[in-house]
Amino acid sequence: MIVELLAVGLVVSACLAIYLDEAVYSIASLACMFVLMAVLYALSDAVFVAVFQLAVSAGTLAVLFLAGEMLSENPEKEKSLKKIFSAVLLAVVLSLPSIFLSVAVTPANISSGFSFAEALWDLRVIDVILQGLIMMTVALGIAIVLYERGEGES
Amino acid sequence: MDYMILSVILLAVGIYGLLTKRHLVKVLISIEIIAVAASMNFVLLASSLNRALGETFMVLAFSTDTCVTAIVLALLVIAAKKYGTCDIRKLTEIERSADEEQAKS
Repeated sequence: MIVELLAVGLVVSACLAIYLDEAVYSIASLACMFVLMAVLYALSDAVFVAVFQLAVSAGTLAVLFLAGEMLSENPEKEKSLKKIFSAVLLAVVLSLPSIFLSVAVTPANISSGFSFAEALWDLRVIDVILQGLIMMTVALGIAIVLYERGEGES
Repeated sequence: MDYMILSVILLAVGIYGLLTKRHLVKVLISIEIIAVAASMNFVLLASSLNRALGETFMVLAFSTDTCVTAIVLALLVIAAKKYGTCDIRKLTEIERSADEEQAKS
């Protein structure tokens, strides 16, 4: 029952994130979606991924809030409560197929035999290091672009 | 409860937002929803098949998503400062008129 409610909540918050005009409200909806997703992961025994999801989304949302607040233009006409309610209702209807229908998946009978830590640090350690390097390069590149932009303006 | 269908629904919502919304922040939110839909499919299938490797790949994919978000946000801020708008259509019109002026001169 909890998983079904989470699924409905996920679709509703995703729809509201798209539908609402005010950027701050849509980012708040997106935050709600990320939290629900993390709870769904935790309930499906993927606790590490849930923690990563929360940690990564916290950073993303902080930056998105700042950018949304800075760049948002006032919407010409605010949406009425009735329209928002009908969007929520539509989202609930949209989420129903995931609860009542199912796609048959035949599970492979091969057991993986790896724990999460083994898979991460024994098999994918080069990937992890490379990704760390790429992320540092991206952060540095963005800082340089913004710095040069600021220099050009002054 | 089927996670695959849920993931397809989220993907559809994201693609709808990507196609219909004009504000750049909304486009970024749509990209986030699409990324979340794809990763959810991956994680939940991996955990239902008891494969830790799938979850490991997703941890790496989350960091890639964050990089993409950071790059898009930086571009967004630069575009908004340069042209004074976040509307994709207005930005396209500005670029087009600038190209036409360049071609004339």
